[in-house]
Amino acid sequence: MLTDFLQLTVAGLSQGSVYALLAVGLIAVYTVRHVINIAQGEFAMLAGLGSAWLVAAGMPLLLGVLVAILTVTLVAIAMERLIIARVKKLTPLTSIILTLGVSTLLQAIMLLAWGPEAKGVPLFPGTNVLIGGVSIRSQEFWMIGALVIVGGGIVLFYEKSRWGKALRACAEQPVAARIVGISPVTASILAFAIAGFVGGVAGVVASPIYLSLWSGGVLLGLKGFVAAVLGGFVSFRAAIVGALLLGMIEAYVAGYVSSGLRDGAAFLILILVLVVRPQGLVLKPTAVRV
Amino acid sequence: MTHATTPAFVGTRSTGARFWANNKATLIGCGILVALMIVVPFTASSSVMNIVVFAMIFALPAIGLNLLMGLAGQVSLGQAAFFAIGAYTHAIMLTKLDLPGPVAATIGVLAAMLVALLVGLPLMRLRGHYLALATLGLGFIVMIGVREWDVTGRTTGIYGISRPTVFGIPIDNSGFFLWFVTPFVVIGLILALNLTHSRAGRALSAVNDSELAAESLGVNTYALRLKVFVLSAGFAGLGGVFYAYQVAIVSPTTAEFHLSVSILLMVVIGGLGSVWGAVAGAFLVQFLGEGMRDVIPAIFPGATGEVQLLGYGIVLILVILLLPGGLYQAATTLWHKLPFAGKRPPGDAHAHTPGSASELDTTIPQLPLVSTPVAAGEPILVIEGLTKRYGGVVAVNDVSLTVPAGSILGLIGPNGAGKTTCFNMISGALTPSAGTVTFLGQVISGRKPHVAAAHGLTRTFQNLQVFTSTDVVGNVYMGRYRKGRAGVLRGMLGLQSAEQSGHRAASYEILQSMRLTDAADDSASDLSFGKQRIMEVCRALAAEPALLLLDEPMAGLSGAEREVMAELLRRLRTAGLTIVLVEHDVAQVMSLADHVAVLDDGVLIAHGDPESVRNDPAVVVAYLGTDLDEAEAELTELEEHA
Repeated sequence: MLTDFLQLTVAGLSQGSVYALLAVGLIAVYTVRHVINIAQGEFAMLAGLGSAWLVAAGMPLLLGVLVAILTVTLVAIAMERLIIARVKKLTPLTSIILTLGVSTLLQAIMLLAWGPEAKGVPLFPGTNVLIGGVSIRSQEFWMIGALVIVGGGIVLFYEKSRWGKALRACAEQPVAARIVGISPVTASILAFAIAGFVGGVAGVVASPIYLSLWSGGVLLGLKGFVAAVLGGFVSFRAAIVGALLLGMIEAYVAGYVSSGLRDGAAFLILILVLVVRPQGLVLKPTAVRV
Repeated sequence: MTHATTPAFVGTRSTGARFWANNKATLIGCGILVALMIVVPFTASSSVMNIVVFAMIFALPAIGLNLLMGLAGQVSLGQAAFFAIGAYTHAIMLTKLDLPGPVAATIGVLAAMLVALLVGLPLMRLRGHYLALATLGLGFIVMIGVREWDVTGRTTGIYGISRPTVFGIPIDNSGFFLWFVTPFVVIGLILALNLTHSRAGRALSAVNDSELAAESLGVNTYALRLKVFVLSAGFAGLGGVFYAYQVAIVSPTTAEFHLSVSILLMVVIGGLGSVWGAVAGAFLVQFLGEGMRDVIPAIFPGATGEVQLLGYGIVLILVILLLPGGLYQAATTLWHKLPFAGKRPPGDAHAHTPGSASELDTTIPQLPLVSTPVAAGEPILVIEGLTKRYGGVVAVNDVSLTVPAGSILGLIGPNGAGKTTCFNMISGALTPSAGTVTFLGQVISGRKPHVAAAHGLTRTFQNLQVFTSTDVVGNVYMGRYRKGRAGVLRGMLGLQSAEQSGHRAASYEILQSMRLTDAADDSASDLSFGKQRIMEVCRALAAEPALLLLDEPMAGLSGAEREVMAELLRRLRTAGLTIVLVEHDVAQVMSLADHVAVLDDGVLIAHGDPESVRNDPAVVVAYLGTDLDEAEAELTELEEHA
């Protein structure tokens, strides 16, 4: 009984780590550009499928993974430079359509390049651990570890480093940020680079267990969004906690109710949260001066 | 849309001619569409026929989504969910309950609308990205739901749906089916077009320009947006009903995200806010999809599945980057370049006579109507203990005032004294931290601005809130919103032209009273700053208010314009209107107002007739920044000089 529960909790935490990384990417972009990047999940799928292909072609695992993550980071920067930066007046409406366009385009490219089947990166090195009847797979350590190192690193970057502080300032006060020494253009590029990087990391660590599929990014990205909403969409820490909670709830639903309903849980939570506490979750109230 | 007909012409034409003039484009367009749909089955190959049938089916959800995006300014990424709900409900009613076709179809459409109502009730209150992502989530929930539920046939779906029979003729081939679906698309199209031109449609487009201004003219944004959302789901549900008939199988793929993307693409290609664009977009996307499915496997051998997404993604991005208005924008640009396109005769629209106001002719041709619900002198607006705190900062501190009807109250004070904050709490744009505002015996504080507007309180804005997507007369016309009655349903049925032309005539009269008639057909954003301010006053007056709040009405006006404005306000007061104005021009306020209230640091420091306020030492301190003794000394000095 308790073992089952703990087993599900471990699965939920590892899956939640992936959502948390995606939520970090979404918030990084949102705070700087006020864009909700629907292509965030595609970054993960692109890195997963890309590294699976590189490894299958004979590249060493860790090198392939690294190359894939860096490529996806470049893709995210290209997306910012070629598409997002070119729109002068970015309304919620146009930003949704644009990032949806990028998401659709990336999906189609993955479908054409690697076909319709799901693929997985080989398991990362490590040994499975058995603690009190609860088995933890080595890959799950990698997933949680990725969150601790990469997610934690980005939180530290934002809170401690000069550039990170400037990025946060940029979200609140673009003019002030310029004085601190970061231009809105640099901030925007940096935000997308972070989004691409964390998306890539999430994609490669999840791929060995959860596989990568050309069309799987939307669902994954949306769960990152749910996590971000649970955390209020401004704070990385809160979003990470929200993501871990979401992962655990999903695991319990899948384990105790029905595995088919697992994905539905996230969206029921989303709608419930929006219904019950919308005022606490307003992304960033744009104050209207009258 | 140009509304070149001035009210003077309207009455002289017969009803038939007027109907033709108002609906020419719609009638010609529908005629061409119907003619094409009659001919296509005789000429097209079966594969083209197939594309055309699906284009007509998907035109319905596209029209619905276009209304939502164009009018309500919200994106739904779950249009396929409503499409699927319509299709599944219809199929279940037909196959499991053996209901007759029309009944099953109606239930299908209603089911989609009901779900939209339940989802929209909480979500339409939220702004920005939330509706898009919540509807995206809804799409996944519906797909998971139909896959897991026995009634919806799990992954296999529902099959064995029989084709309908109309007047004894079985609709058993694509040609008949096209003729079966076309009347519904045409009716849907006309309803949607009527809605965009209706009172509700104009109100929603005003909301997209300035939600605050629209609400303070009486528009209940939330209710209208919710209605449009439910309506757009109804269109999607109807599309689903026809889809179930045509394909005869309803499977979980009908709720797929990619279907929502393609419906969104139809709207984006066609042009946001253009109903015809949505129909054209439906055809283009169907042909594009079919073309891509043929071309891509030829370029990339072995490519299978949803390869058309490559085209969809590229087109979505390119349209937003290069042609944000879609086909509609392209078509209108092209039309204006044609030599025979209706151009205004040169000098007509911009025939302003500069200097006409400088003659200081302050006669006002015609005074706008005002409503006088209480006798002059009776209290119309009662403010008690009004307070606004932002964190530790108190912007407005315990202000109490009573405004008698038929008088002008001037609210003055140094910058940052809390005047506009006070205004915003009175009109409902801000919720007070404490205290109440009672207007005509009703507590209106803490409610939305449209509540106060409905009781007869309108306002203008310090930072102009102009409806930029329409012309000057269109702005003033929006002021008439509260005097109208027609709702979404009447708007769709086109049963409000008499009401509309009456309001139009009234709008012209009000423009005349402030000498803006020359600029009536100009785009509102082309006006000078001062003229925009006058236009806002006209817009507020068009609502025939009982209480008018003017936030710095003189700022940016020329000397002559100020004189005209002051004269208008005096005469409106004589006619019984109550006016509260915030103004920096203290001399102007002192000469105009019956009472003056002075705010300093959020505190009401003086209130009385202009003479006593002018001599109040506390007021002098507030304006000159010296202490009380010095101020009194200066005052005595001034008096001695005089």
